[in-house]
Amino acid sequence: MSGGFNEIHPEPTTFISKYIISFDHKVIAKQFLWYGILFLGIGGIMALLIRWTLAYPGVPFPILGPLLFPDSAGVVPPDTYAMLFTMHGTIMIFYAITPILIGAFGNYCIPLMIGARDMAFPMLNMLSFWFAAASALVVLISLCTPLGSAAGGWTSYPTLSTMIGSPGSGQTLWCLAIFLLGISSTMGAVNYVTTVITLRAPGMGYFDMPLTVWGLWLTAILNAIFVPVLGAGVMLLMMDRVMGTTFFLAGASATAGTGDPVLFQHVFWIFGHPEVYILILPAWGIVSDLLSFFSRKPAFGAKATALSMTAVSILSTLVYGHHMFTTQMSPLLTQSFMTLTMTISIPSAIFFANWLGTIWKGSIRFDSPMLFSLGVVFVFGLGGLTGLHLGTVTTDLYLHDTYFVVGHFHYTMAASVLLGGYAGIYFWFPKMFGRMMNETLAKIHFWGTMIPLNGIFFGMLMVGYGGMHRRIYNPFVYESLQRLIPINMMITWSAILMGAFQIIFVWNFLMSLKKGPKASNNPWEVGTLEWTIPSPPVHHNYDVIPVVKCGPHEFGNPNLKNGRDFQYQTEELVRG
Amino acid sequence: MKRLDLQSNLAMTVTITGFSMFFATLMMGYAIYRSSSTFWPPMGFSKVSLTIPSISTFLILLSSWFCYQIKGNVKAHDFKKARLNLNLTLVLGFSFMVAQSFFWSELKASGLYVDSGIFASILYAYTWIHAAHVLAGILSLVYLSIMLKPSDDRMLIKAVNVEKFWHFLGAVWLMMFLTLFVY
Amino acid sequence: MQNWLQLSMPPKDISTNGHLIDSLWNYTTMLCIFYFVLVCIGLFGFSYLYSRKRNKTPYYTYGNKKQHLLFTAIIGAAVFLTIDLNITRISNNDLLEQFWKWPNPATEKVLRVEVMGQQWMWSFRYAGPDNEFNTKDDVITNNDLRVPVNTKVLFHLTAKDVIHSFFVPNVRLKVDTIPGRITRVWWEVKEPGEYDIACAEMCGTHHYLMKARLTVYSEEDFNRWLATSEQLAMNTNDPDDTNLAWGWKWEN
Repeated sequence: MSGGFNEIHPEPTTFISKYIISFDHKVIAKQFLWYGILFLGIGGIMALLIRWTLAYPGVPFPILGPLLFPDSAGVVPPDTYAMLFTMHGTIMIFYAITPILIGAFGNYCIPLMIGARDMAFPMLNMLSFWFAAASALVVLISLCTPLGSAAGGWTSYPTLSTMIGSPGSGQTLWCLAIFLLGISSTMGAVNYVTTVITLRAPGMGYFDMPLTVWGLWLTAILNAIFVPVLGAGVMLLMMDRVMGTTFFLAGASATAGTGDPVLFQHVFWIFGHPEVYILILPAWGIVSDLLSFFSRKPAFGAKATALSMTAVSILSTLVYGHHMFTTQMSPLLTQSFMTLTMTISIPSAIFFANWLGTIWKGSIRFDSPMLFSLGVVFVFGLGGLTGLHLGTVTTDLYLHDTYFVVGHFHYTMAASVLLGGYAGIYFWFPKMFGRMMNETLAKIHFWGTMIPLNGIFFGMLMVGYGGMHRRIYNPFVYESLQRLIPINMMITWSAILMGAFQIIFVWNFLMSLKKGPKASNNPWEVGTLEWTIPSPPVHHNYDVIPVVKCGPHEFGNPNLKNGRDFQYQTEELVRG
Repeated sequence: MKRLDLQSNLAMTVTITGFSMFFATLMMGYAIYRSSSTFWPPMGFSKVSLTIPSISTFLILLSSWFCYQIKGNVKAHDFKKARLNLNLTLVLGFSFMVAQSFFWSELKASGLYVDSGIFASILYAYTWIHAAHVLAGILSLVYLSIMLKPSDDRMLIKAVNVEKFWHFLGAVWLMMFLTLFVY
Repeated sequence: MQNWLQLSMPPKDISTNGHLIDSLWNYTTMLCIFYFVLVCIGLFGFSYLYSRKRNKTPYYTYGNKKQHLLFTAIIGAAVFLTIDLNITRISNNDLLEQFWKWPNPATEKVLRVEVMGQQWMWSFRYAGPDNEFNTKDDVITNNDLRVPVNTKVLFHLTAKDVIHSFFVPNVRLKVDTIPGRITRVWWEVKEPGEYDIACAEMCGTHHYLMKARLTVYSEEDFNRWLATSEQLAMNTNDPDDTNLAWGWKWEN
């Protein structure tokens, strides 16, 4: 049932109600965007520290090193190294990708693209942001505790993450932070799901929604179902740490009756595997839309793409066991998880075919959002295909916990999501802030990201196949790994290069915010609802709730006679 | 105002789905501990007495029945009866918490502490987690009681949503009672 | 670059069944390259052919014509049939016929070893002359595993404190060691020499230092070493030393 959102909330007048405790989805989206970009920076610096240590073990980190680690003359110490890769993963996944892709784009795009005046529950939305902010605060505090923050890997497997392996309050605060963030995500998810179902503009069926909204909606559904699973896991872990329960303790460390450390892995991956798709679905949606927008032709098989994304979401809940092949589950489970994992490649192949079908015979405009979208197709291709090696049990016996895994999930989760996120930022920046970003700098940023990025992650695939395992402070204590030093140095310098090019983005972002040329209502000549209103939109988005009459990808219709090559969704489809 | 009601209803359903997954995870953990150990309760432990948990079960199920009445009363604009049923639900919910605290002190008296192994860990932690949710349920009942007035045309959906949540807590407890205590 | 590709080849395969993993890896990779090349042809080819400059008027289609749907379905089916079905089948066969086909000490010649991981050390235990584990004549070594060539070796593994992962790159095998559980792995090595054993699961600050040496002896060298070590164990193992009593009764 779609009815459109009819109330107009009074516009806030004070600074606090306008920018801090804001109920406006557009402001909350911007809050999430700043929050995500801030943590992207922190996580990125952590990545550089990690990379430096791997290429130059025992060499002080230039410039920042002596400031951060005065006790070891600027060299990253081993315990800090463990904390760095743990927090790099945690921060990038929960505090950078989640807020940018889901928090910022979800909040910004869903109401605007479905023709609503706000989210269904603006107050819940505000609370969702502030819970996330509280969680971020706890994480930052945990970094300052005497023994440092969590250092058991972002997966925080017990028993390492219990008191046996991680004394100190860092890991406890980590659990608390994740729990708070889980509450925030669930609140957001409840809001998104409800908004999409009830607030679509009149006339907008589910398949008239832009694929971005599809991606975000599926993400929200997965979030609502699976984040509580992680919540239960970290809750029990926290009890193990604080109250002395023994849910995840076993063997010599459990005194009476024994728990099960592997149970946490099950719980973690029941959440964790859908989480991978939670992160990538918005990017898939954005890319599916942008490829069509900039090829100036309708999205190829849009319905099939939407249904494939749905299929992947459903399958994602059934395959988590492929993260645990080396724990020796029962043979039956192992084989079933392998087979189920393989079936994911069917829907993936279908939407790859559809993406390429979209640009086939198009009239492609290579603006920066398009470049980034094409980049996503490239890197996700590599990332998805390398997943086959890891979903197969026997090859996984060798590759599990090596850098091959690191390369694989960075291609899928980091590279694709990062490029997809940039595509979204370049695309919606004019709508968000009413100004255009500098296109030349954007293109430099694209190539400066795309090329080193492949150097980093393809390099990781190579060293992983060479046998270098994950999370080791100094790989070269193994003589057999010393041959990989040159490749590791290449990865590190690629990372530094890529990091340097991100400065161009930050510069472009900040300068365009102040000085960019004013954006028109519809700079990209796209027909979805958000481009029918001024940039930036007024507080209540739509003076009159639009009525949707055609799909979101109406481009290049030969029957169009009004000089435009696209149609707004509010216009009746022109037929011959 | 039909659409707003639909929104709230839907949102509550999604929320309860989330909560169900939370408790389902806990129960899955219990199922795994239980099925992977040769003896349950583990060696050196004996089953806990069913008396207090049975009383708790009776209290929370009865409260669910009174809670169920509220919706009809609001529909019939019988706010006096609605308040009576709401108060009864509250009293019973509160007595459930009291019964639980007796249960915990009984466990403690029998020498079972939260850190005495997995058996005790489950008994304490799961009932604590459930009790924390019941507390939230009681708060929402209190909220409903403050809000209960005939002039509010969204009264019905508020009553329906609080009721849903309260039934959910009852159902979770019933499941825990049957699996943790009886079976 | 050629050089780098050589560098990133995995270490030498010394086991009798490691080549199965390598060949499956090669097969998967070949097919991945094939499909990735297809993606690249589409991506770069279409970008070149259908840029705004070259192609002014786009083809107005929703991609829902019969031939379009057929094309998409064929791609989906092709990926499933060529890659998924095959690698699942091959992997399953390898598992059933090799990796999960546990050697039986009762009927064939098998060296049994108990392994315990702890922060940050690998301990190995051989049954000793009485063929029973956790008795005082057990040979116990730390970070030093010695096995004979051309003999099946069956490991039962556990961990003392946190989860570790027993990783021997040269035999392509890896198995987690988990507190409170016993996991298994077996191999047959065909080349004498010295190789690395690593811990592959994050196990704390000094995870990177948790490495052990694998020495593969010829049959007689191994027997000589074992005899000497058994003698040594009988003379020096202190039955009251609780640190040595980490073994358990072997159950198949």
